[in-house]
Amino acid sequence: MTCLRGSTERIAARHLPLGRAPYGPTWRLQKELHARRVAGTIPDTVLTVEHDPVFTVGRSGSRRNLRVSEAVRERAGIPVFEVERGGDITYHGPGQLVVYPIVDLREQGGDVHAFIGALEGAAIDFLADHGVEADRRAGFPGVWVGTRKIASVGVYVRRWVTRHGLALNLAVDRSHFAMIRPCGLDIDVVSLSELVSDPPTVDEAASAVLERLADALRWRLSVGDPSEVWRPRDG
Amino acid sequence: MTNASCEGEVRVPDLGEVGSVTVVEWLAKPGDTVESGAALLEVETEKTTFVIDAPRTGRLARVFVKEGEKARRDDLLARID
Repeated sequence: MTCLRGSTERIAARHLPLGRAPYGPTWRLQKELHARRVAGTIPDTVLTVEHDPVFTVGRSGSRRNLRVSEAVRERAGIPVFEVERGGDITYHGPGQLVVYPIVDLREQGGDVHAFIGALEGAAIDFLADHGVEADRRAGFPGVWVGTRKIASVGVYVRRWVTRHGLALNLAVDRSHFAMIRPCGLDIDVVSLSELVSDPPTVDEAASAVLERLADALRWRLSVGDPSEVWRPRDG
Repeated sequence: MTNASCEGEVRVPDLGEVGSVTVVEWLAKPGDTVESGAALLEVETEKTTFVIDAPRTGRLARVFVKEGEKARRDDLLARID
């Protein structure tokens, strides 16, 4: 377990499970919650979501890392969003758990490295519980099984509050990943379903990964009702 | 965890045990007036975009690290007069 610097008191935090949702409204919700966390009107909040297929390009990335033409991408019905997180291009879609922690890092010792380590560590421990040995690779943030990437990280921090986060492949459509050079690299990706016979559902994985993350971030986590902040199909 | 050790100086903040950061984008250019608390530049490290705000209102006098270049904790990034 990764322990971040700071006091030993537990920090109140809320989990909002969004279920299956398109990218755009989820991105907007993150920005709203980020502003409220910066203003101090909400506690640390973590969203979990399974996205409709989408490519997102981070601040150091490029659409050039799409391997297919715009026409092919559009025919596949997969939108692209250029977003403010770090990193290059990635894919989100069904069979992938996405975790978006909106966290005040000042309560975590202001350590960006340790925060990334906490996200990676939550995925590594979760995978170990399923008998899969996964690890970090120096210089290549994310979680790897051998040379194949099973989880990606990408974070944005303003006024010491985070958004974006972690994506963990449970049973992802490989043909969608094949349309990009993930992270701008010629790497292979893998899903838990290729490694074990009975992978958990996205909901099951969400609970298990958040339990690990709550330990690392010293959260006292409660589950909230997303409908208070969330109407995803409104556009 | 402050962005400026001296009024008007913009330095790489202490982000914990990260190595270097890369300047992704300056959101103002030398000569521009910047407002205290407005986003001044974005740096990236370990797949994390970190936004550094202007520590005071004034004129962005000089930028010491260009986009694409690396800097380390406490390095001087810019001066605001």
